[in-house]
Amino acid sequence: MAMRAAILRHIRLPARAQTLAGPRSREWSLPGSSASRSMSSHGDDHLTKEEVVERVLAVVKSFPKVDPATVSPDVHFQNDLGLDSLDNVEIVMALEEEFKLEIPDLEADKIDSCRLAIEYIYNHPMAG
Amino acid sequence: MSATAAATTTAGYLARRAAQKEKVRILYRRALKDTLNWAVHRHLFYQDASELRERFESNKHVEDLDTVDRLIADAEASYNKWRHPDPYIVPWAPGGSKFTRNPTPPSGIEIIYDYGREDND
Repeated sequence: MAMRAAILRHIRLPARAQTLAGPRSREWSLPGSSASRSMSSHGDDHLTKEEVVERVLAVVKSFPKVDPATVSPDVHFQNDLGLDSLDNVEIVMALEEEFKLEIPDLEADKIDSCRLAIEYIYNHPMAG
Repeated sequence: MSATAAATTTAGYLARRAAQKEKVRILYRRALKDTLNWAVHRHLFYQDASELRERFESNKHVEDLDTVDRLIADAEASYNKWRHPDPYIVPWAPGGSKFTRNPTPPSGIEIIYDYGREDND
């Protein structure tokens, strides 16, 4: 077993030496290791908090009844922006469409401010 | 009249009002989603959504609890009548196409990746 590994290492060494002049600028790890999946897009699905904040604010600012200058991450839809409860429902629906989420009705009823929306979306495992 | 005035701010009245408001919000949400299901093209959806909003706004200032209850019941009946047979549901949500497609395997089961290597290899 150890001899096999030694033989393999010896056999594969010339291939590695030849790539010094090649266009590859990165050393491959030990042959046989599958730790680096360089072309896989697995796991980059988690949104960063800044992204979530940015997108939520963009959605709220593009709402026609809202003045974009007053929108900040801590704003409350009904108290600060002077919106209606039905407008609240519309904003939550727009957020659902933006992040491709399906929020249950009772949860969606409770989302009242930007802060709550950001928290909910950031902690949702399926936010896209 | 004074009896009704005294009854306007009791806890029971407020509780009923709050329950009605929640029902209205949930109904508006479902009706809006349904409108989106029926009117797929965005400009049609915006028109239908505006009309829906008008219908909700026209009954906004009704004060009498029983009238409001009746209006909500009628609205829910008409919502049930107009529900789309094939609504758009986000794939991973219950009712969507990807729901429980790849459930997580039960814990304690481990797959050994040896790629067919045999013992005399």
